[in-house]
Amino acid sequence: MTAGYINVFKQQSVRDDLKFRSKIIFGTITLLSFLLVLNLYRLQISNAEKYTLMSNKNRIRLIPILPKRGRILTADGKAVAHNICQHKLLMERCSEDVFRENMKIICECIRLEKDDQQKIDESKKSPFIVIKDKLSWEEYAKLSMNLFKLNGVSLESIHVRNYPMTFECSHVVGHTKNNGHNLPILEGKTGIEAYLNDKLIGESGNTQVEVNAQGKRIRIIDSEEPVAGMDVVLTIDSRLQKYVYDLLAQERAATAVVLDISNGEILAMVSFPAFNANLISAKMTQAQWQSVIQDPLFPLLNRAVNCSYPPGSIFKIVVAFAALEEKIITPQDKIFCGGGIKVDDTVFHCWNRGGHGHVNLFEALRFSCDCYFFEVSRKLGIDNIVKYAKRFGFGEETGVELPSEHVGLLPTKKWKFLSYGTHWKPYETMIAGIGQGALLATLLQLAVMFGKIYTRNYEFIPTLVRDQGKKSRRANPISEQSLNIIIEALRQVCSCGTAAGSCRTTYGISGKTGSSQVSKIQPTEVGRSPQNIPWKLRDHAIFVGCAPNEHPRYVVAVLVEHGGGGAAVAAPIARKIFDRIMENEKIVSQ
Amino acid sequence: MKKLFPNECRILFTLLFVLLIISLCGQYSAFGGQWRGPVLRHLLRIFASLAIMWGVYIMDFRIWNNFAYLFYILAILSLIIVDLLGIIKFGAQRWIDVYFFTFQPSEPMKLTLILALARYYSMLSPIEVNQLRSHAWPIFMTFIPAALVFRQPDLGTAVLLIIIGCSMMFLSGFPLKIFLITIGSCVVLCPLGWFCLRNYQKNRILTFLDPNRDPLGMGYHILQSKIAIGSGHLFGRGFLQGTQGKLNFLPEKNTDFIFTTIAEEFGFLGALLVIFLFFCICCYFFWVADESRFKFAKVTCYGLGIFMFIHVFVNVSMVMGLLPVVGIPLPFLSYGGSSMISFMISCGLVMAASARKHHQQSPPFFQ
Repeated sequence: MTAGYINVFKQQSVRDDLKFRSKIIFGTITLLSFLLVLNLYRLQISNAEKYTLMSNKNRIRLIPILPKRGRILTADGKAVAHNICQHKLLMERCSEDVFRENMKIICECIRLEKDDQQKIDESKKSPFIVIKDKLSWEEYAKLSMNLFKLNGVSLESIHVRNYPMTFECSHVVGHTKNNGHNLPILEGKTGIEAYLNDKLIGESGNTQVEVNAQGKRIRIIDSEEPVAGMDVVLTIDSRLQKYVYDLLAQERAATAVVLDISNGEILAMVSFPAFNANLISAKMTQAQWQSVIQDPLFPLLNRAVNCSYPPGSIFKIVVAFAALEEKIITPQDKIFCGGGIKVDDTVFHCWNRGGHGHVNLFEALRFSCDCYFFEVSRKLGIDNIVKYAKRFGFGEETGVELPSEHVGLLPTKKWKFLSYGTHWKPYETMIAGIGQGALLATLLQLAVMFGKIYTRNYEFIPTLVRDQGKKSRRANPISEQSLNIIIEALRQVCSCGTAAGSCRTTYGISGKTGSSQVSKIQPTEVGRSPQNIPWKLRDHAIFVGCAPNEHPRYVVAVLVEHGGGGAAVAAPIARKIFDRIMENEKIVSQ
Repeated sequence: MKKLFPNECRILFTLLFVLLIISLCGQYSAFGGQWRGPVLRHLLRIFASLAIMWGVYIMDFRIWNNFAYLFYILAILSLIIVDLLGIIKFGAQRWIDVYFFTFQPSEPMKLTLILALARYYSMLSPIEVNQLRSHAWPIFMTFIPAALVFRQPDLGTAVLLIIIGCSMMFLSGFPLKIFLITIGSCVVLCPLGWFCLRNYQKNRILTFLDPNRDPLGMGYHILQSKIAIGSGHLFGRGFLQGTQGKLNFLPEKNTDFIFTTIAEEFGFLGALLVIFLFFCICCYFFWVADESRFKFAKVTCYGLGIFMFIHVFVNVSMVMGLLPVVGIPLPFLSYGGSSMISFMISCGLVMAASARKHHQQSPPFFQ
């Protein structure tokens, strides 16, 4: 009885124990389920954004669509930079059998040269084999007709930049290069291509493609069309540009700028030697690039803007104007030129060793007398020269739409002290007064100076691009009295002065010649004809002029590097350019 | 005479019905929205295993009691056969070819282990239960199959067998102190077990501990799975709209990672529903166990509840990156016959137990 009772009791406790333990297990299960739900909440609700982003990143690939680069046109509507469509034949990597079968059909459509065959064999291992580049239109048509027979073969079209006026416009238009990233987007490197790159480049579009884990494209989700780049119209006249280029091509290295001062437009800007813009923009071999880089005449250099020269006698205009303004001289004041001036035991020669005798301002400019300007600039002082030179645009950018424009060099006392640590010497003022010494300017700056004189406005800005609304035409007039004297003197230069030989015309040119010295003349070299001096040591021949006299409109600046005398070499070229412009104007007006 | 459809099991039927619908949707979506082929096969499997479930329910429950050891021994034998001449798939020897289909003996092993342990404990007198030595057999019975499965190698199932065995021992009155001490020492000795693991198992555990260790290799699966679950938000991407699975970023998207597919397409609510359904099924199992008077049935039902839940827990934790990747299927939802049948049999057993929960003793059948 007792034992039975105990047994029952024990059984009862065991049953309770089982129930108790099952409760523990059930509790654990509930707890773990709750844990799962909690974690699910963390993943799907708290971090949902993060994982959605990752999921989209997984499956969506952006495939860019390249924009068409804007064209560059000349004022007369000729394209100087445009895009040519090129077709390529591509084949995916495939088995030998498929490859052979494909090639059989391809060879029926197009002719493959030996070079092409070799290239194909070399690139067999890459995921895409380029069967042929630059397919002709005929070949393209034939292949697209037969494309359905081919396996894994595709035709791809790409736009290639092309420059029709390859040499003539190479400096102005510039060149482009692949930007070197994954996308073959062209980037302007020089000239207008670089300066207006943002406007020309357009905006890339893209296609959103869904891909699977193996990277295979499943479908297109969305696409955004590219925005083509804007066309740019230059002020350059293609015919004039070509004419000027052909003229300069007879020299070794030269540059010329033609300005229409009525609106500041640059009608022609040529630098010779020029580079082949098509060649440079394409893929070049190392040897080709080396030959361009190591050319002693630096064909990549735009000599009109990116190269500074001593302005020589052209600068005398500024000095003369400054002297008149500062009332240091009157036009009739005469100064004696005996062929040289002695300062501190050093003799500064006039270009004419025989001397000019007593000369007034007109005669001094007419014959470009150095002694006269030595004396005038000595009286004027460097500070005054710099003050007026600055007003005429020396030492400052002209604001033309070309990259890395040179500003030249306007020597001041401060500059001298900072760069050499010595004080300014009086004779340096005299040398600066004839446009030599440290003084440097670009040809465009000289042309702009003429623009300022003939528009009678200090605010003259040259432009290369049509319809640039942003360029202000603020009036900042130059004082009439002094300017009239200078203009008269410049007219005389071409009628009875240094340029009289080449610039006497019916419509009338006013201008100034300059022969800027590049090295000190040795006593032995005095009187030697330019042909006997090594090319590198010859003077730069410069001529800047304006025509016609009655209604000045065109400024032509010509610089022949190491050409010799400005009157003998540069002025005749300018005369030809003027003739051409006037002829054209006559045709237009009739 | 038993009823064809027992009234007590309406709840279970409802739960199962919803789960099987979700299962079909999940498989349909994971196979790319096609009825033919695998999805149809899955449907057939569902019907076949439902029939088996009904058969188990109809059968005399005492058969399970009386043949528990026999089934256990058969399962052990089949494991040994797998070890000797099994088919090697995916680098593991887990399948036997039985002429018309291949099956994984480790699946019935879990069931027979539960039955055998239940039989053993139901025979034990209350006094014996409190003695440590009476638990020697269950330990032996648990670790033999675990060792055999571990040899396949299938770490996940081996651990599962041990967990099921241990929880049943705990349930049946394993001395509490010793149980806690053993668990404690196991945790301490765990690092020693490291040396018994194969390289790929080590890799999985290392990757689990630091998913960024190898984001494109082992960690890839877990990361992709988490991305898929996470991108589901509250309502999911919509039926057939999941991108991770469809675009092959998910591995094993219709077997072990089916929960991921469901969570991506049906969102937090869908995943919650799945977990809730499983929880309810476990509750039902435990309720039947509580109600049952027949001790064998009682212990069996508890065991089956644990069996069901541990699968769900390990699988869901695995796809959410809470546990290392081990090949544990999600009951009813994963594609595959063996697991489907064994879970349906569990349901059938619980239904049978529920139908006769008032029977106190099993009448002698075969003595």
